[in-house]
Amino acid sequence: MTRELTGSEAAALAEALVPGSVDRTTETACYLKPDRLVETLRALRDDPDANLVHLTNLCGVDYWDHFEVVYHIQSFEKNHLACFKVEAWGRENPEVPSVTPVFHGAWMQECEAYDLFGIRFAGHPNLYRILLWEGYPGWPLRKDFLAMPGGLQPGLGEFAGVAPRQEPPVKVIE
Amino acid sequence: MTGIIKSEPFVINIGPQHPSTHGVFRIKATVDGEKVIDAEMVMGYLHRSMEKLAEERTYTQNIPFTDRTDYLSSMSNNLGYCLAVEKLAGIEVPPRGNAIRVIMAELQRLASHCMAIGAFANDTGAWQTPVMWAFREREKILDIFEVTSGARLTCNYMRIGGVAFDLRPEFEPMVRRILRDFPPFLDEMEGLLSGNEIFIARTRGVGVLTPEMATNASLSGPMLRGSGIAWDIRKADPYCGYEQYDFDIPIGYNGDSYDRFIVRLEEMRQSLKIIQQALDGLPGGPFRTEVPLALRPPKGEAYARIESPRGELGYYLVSDEGPSPYRFHIRPPSFINLSALKEMTVGGTVADAIVVLGSIDIVVGEIDR
Amino acid sequence: MTPFLVSDKWYDIRDLGNLSREILEAADRILPFGVVYVLAALIGFVASFLLFVLPSQLIVGVYGERRIIGRMQSRLGPNRVGPFGLLQPIADAIKLIQKEALTPTRADRAVMYIAPIIFVMPAVLLWAVIPFGENMVIADIPVSLMYFLAVSSLPVIATFMAGWSANNKYSLFGAMRIVSMAISYESPLVLALLGAVVMTGTISLSGMVAWADEFNIWMVFVQPLALVIYFICVSAELNRTPVDIAEAESEIVAGYLTEYSGMKWGLFYGMDIGYALAASGFAATVFLGGWTFFGLEQWVPGWLIFIAKTHLFYFLFIWTRGTLPRLRADQLMAFAWKFLLPLGVFNLLIVSTERMLWSEQDYAKGLIYVFALVNIILSVALVYAWARFNGYRPERTPTRPRLVKQAGGYIPVGERS
Repeated sequence: MTRELTGSEAAALAEALVPGSVDRTTETACYLKPDRLVETLRALRDDPDANLVHLTNLCGVDYWDHFEVVYHIQSFEKNHLACFKVEAWGRENPEVPSVTPVFHGAWMQECEAYDLFGIRFAGHPNLYRILLWEGYPGWPLRKDFLAMPGGLQPGLGEFAGVAPRQEPPVKVIE
Repeated sequence: MTGIIKSEPFVINIGPQHPSTHGVFRIKATVDGEKVIDAEMVMGYLHRSMEKLAEERTYTQNIPFTDRTDYLSSMSNNLGYCLAVEKLAGIEVPPRGNAIRVIMAELQRLASHCMAIGAFANDTGAWQTPVMWAFREREKILDIFEVTSGARLTCNYMRIGGVAFDLRPEFEPMVRRILRDFPPFLDEMEGLLSGNEIFIARTRGVGVLTPEMATNASLSGPMLRGSGIAWDIRKADPYCGYEQYDFDIPIGYNGDSYDRFIVRLEEMRQSLKIIQQALDGLPGGPFRTEVPLALRPPKGEAYARIESPRGELGYYLVSDEGPSPYRFHIRPPSFINLSALKEMTVGGTVADAIVVLGSIDIVVGEIDR
Repeated sequence: MTPFLVSDKWYDIRDLGNLSREILEAADRILPFGVVYVLAALIGFVASFLLFVLPSQLIVGVYGERRIIGRMQSRLGPNRVGPFGLLQPIADAIKLIQKEALTPTRADRAVMYIAPIIFVMPAVLLWAVIPFGENMVIADIPVSLMYFLAVSSLPVIATFMAGWSANNKYSLFGAMRIVSMAISYESPLVLALLGAVVMTGTISLSGMVAWADEFNIWMVFVQPLALVIYFICVSAELNRTPVDIAEAESEIVAGYLTEYSGMKWGLFYGMDIGYALAASGFAATVFLGGWTFFGLEQWVPGWLIFIAKTHLFYFLFIWTRGTLPRLRADQLMAFAWKFLLPLGVFNLLIVSTERMLWSEQDYAKGLIYVFALVNIILSVALVYAWARFNGYRPERTPTRPRLVKQAGGYIPVGERS
C-alpha cells in the first residue's frame, strides 16, 4: 500500500534537505516557497531517503485570489507519495518556477497548466499553449472564465434549490 | 557524402489525418532524408475542456464524461473517477461491488490491450491481420459490457459507491467463455508476432527508454514496465481489493518498443488470471452503497489513481462542499506518456517514429480531453 | 515430348497455339502480306486476355485476394455483388471510373497523367514472352528472359514519375524509396535467375520449360535458394506487403499513390496485381516447369496447368501479404546487399561448378537428382551459416517478459526477484 505522506512528513523531508524551503503545511500537502521549489525538488529527488523520483501529477488550481500548483511526487522503492504545492499570487501574471529541469515529465503538464490557467512557469524551455491555439482569448479553467454580466457564474450555483456558491473574494478581472 | 551532395531537411506532417496517428494527433517531424532530426507534437484537435465542464455538474453527472476521455477503456476511467470521489467523501464500497469492478476493469484491460497490440502490429506493417484477430476477441468482451451495462464502448457502469446494476445471469458463462478462448488467441498472437523476425527487426532497439529516462519523464504503465521498472499501481497501491488476487508484474529488458509489446501481451495473461480468481470468489451481498445523488463531499482534496491499460490514471479532486467538484483534474496516462516522444523518435527514421507512436498506445480523446 | 495422344490439329484444345496457327496460315493465304502479323498480335492479345488476364486479374487477382485475405483475417471479404461477390471487382471498377480523378493544384499535371499509362504498358508487354503452352506463346524470342527482365524494370520509372509529380512529401518519400529499392533488388534478382540460366543453358523461357520436361525435374528442386531469392526480390520490386515500403500505408500514407484517385489510382492498383501475376507466371515458367506437369499435360491442357501454377505462386504473395509485417527501408537495403547478393553469388558458384561437372558426365540424367538433393541441403546450410555470420542470434531475443511479484524500483536484467 502506498503511504501517502502527510503535509508535516513531507515538510520534514524537505526541511531536512533544504532548510527554509517550507512555507506551511496542511494535513495533506506541504506548501513550498516558490523561490526554493526547484532546489528542494531536486534535493528530494536525489536524496536516497526521500527518493521522490517520479513526478506523477502536476496541475493548477484556481482559488480566486491565488493559484496553486500541485505536485504529486512518488517514490518507487520507498512506495510513498508526497503532495507539494506552491502558490502564485495575482491574476495578471501568476508565475512559479518551472520544474522541468528536475523532472522532464513536467514539461507537458506545465504547458497544459499554462494553457488552461495562464500560470507562467519561469525557466520552462518551451512554454506554449499545448491544447488550445495561440491567441485563444482567456484561460479556460480559471473560475472567472465565461463570467456573465452582473457577476453571475454559469453552472449549478445559480439554479433554484441549490445553495449559492461562495462569493468570489476578488473582483473578476476581464 | 555530406559536402558532395547538398541535402536540405524538410518538415513533414505526420497527422492530423494519417493512418497511424490513432486519431487526430500530429507530429511535425523535421526529416533529413528518412532520418527524423526534430519532432514536435501538435495536439488539441479533440479538446473539449472536460475539466471545465465537470466543474459545473454534480459528482454523479461527471461519470459519463470520464467515459469520453479514454474511449477505449471507459470502465477504467469510470473506476478511477469513482475511487477519487469515494476517497474524497469517505465512502466504502461493498465487497461484491469491488469484485465486479475488478472483473470489469480487467476485461477492459483485455479489450484495450487487444486494440493496442493490434494497432501496433498494424503500424509495423502487418497488413490488418493482427488487428482483425484482436478485434474478433475484443468484440466478445464488448458483448459482455453490452449485456452488463447496456453500452459497448462508453459503458458508464461504475457509480459512486459501487456499480450501476448487478450482474445478469448471462454474465458468468460469457466471462467463462472469454477465459477459455483467450489463452489460445494469445498463443496465436504470440506465434504470429512475438517470434516474427521482421517484427523483431522493426521493434527491437526502436524507441529505447532507459529506466532513468522513463522515471524522469513521468511515464507510467507498460512504458515504465517495458523499461524494467516493476511498478504497477495494482500491486503498489492496491485498490478495489487487488491485494487478494495473485498475479505478477511483467517487466521488459531494454525498454524498447518490442518490450512494451510483450509486456502488454503478458499483462493480458495476468488479467485473465485475475478475472478467474475474482469470478471464482465473487461474493454476494449488495453491489453498491447508496449515496445521495447530489453528493456533497467535505471540504478537501483527494488524489486517487488506478492502473488503467495505458498507465497511471489519476483523478485529482478538490471539493468546496458544493454539489460539483471545485477542481476536477485528470492525470491522463497517454498524454504524459508522450513526454518522451521526442527523445524516442529523434535519430530514428520515419518508420521508427510510427512504431514508437504505436508502442506508446495513445488515445487522443485522453490526450486532449 | 512423347507423341502420345498429342496431335497438332486445330481441334486439340490442349494447345490452343495449333488453332491460332491454322487461322494465321489460312489468313496468310487470303490476306495481303504483312496483315497477318497484326492479326497474330490481335489474336494473341485477345486470347491471352480471355484465357488468362480476365479470369486471373478480375477473379483471382482482386476478388480472390480479397477473399483469401478476408479468410486470413477472420472476416468474410466481398460477398454482396453477384454470386459469392464475384462481381465485386467490376463494381469496384465502375465506382473508380465514376470517381473524380483529383489533381493537386501544384502538381505537374502532364507527368501525373502520363504516369499511370506508362505503368500499364509494361504489364501488358510482359505477357508476350510467357509460354502458356507448347505453341501458345505470342513472341517466342530466343532472349525472352532478358526481355522480361528489361521490361519489368520499366514500371519503376512510372512510379517515380507518379511520386515526383504529385508535389506531396509522402509521394516523394515513396518515389525515393522505390527507386533505391529497385536498384538494390535488381542485382540479386538477376543473380538468382542466372543460376537457372547456367543450369539450363538457355535464356529462352520456352527452352527452360523444355529443359524441365526433358529432365523431369523442376528448377525449384535444383535451385531452391534461387527461387527464395527471386520471390523476395520480386515482392520487393512489386511492393507486396512484407516489403511494400514504397506505399507503406501506416508510414507514408500511400507513398506515390497518395494524391491519386479515381481510375488513375485504379490503373495503379489493377496493374500492381497484373505485375504480380506476371511475376508469378514467370516464376512458374522458370522454376515450376511452366505448362508441363510430369506428363499430365498430355491429358490436361497445358495452359490450365500453367494457370494453376501461376495462381499457386500468386497465393504465396497473398499469404505473405496477409501475415507478415513490413521491414524498414534501411533494413531492406541491408538485406538485399548483405544477405541476398552474397547468397546469390554463392548459389551461382555452386551451380556453375555443378554444371561443369555435369557437362563432363555428358549431361547424365540421373546426376541432376543428386544435384537437387545436394543443393537443397546446401541452400539450408548456406542461409543458416550466412545469417549466423552476419550476427543473427535469435536465441538472444527473449519473447516473454520477466515476471515479478512485488512492485518496486528498477530491476536490472539478470536479477531475479
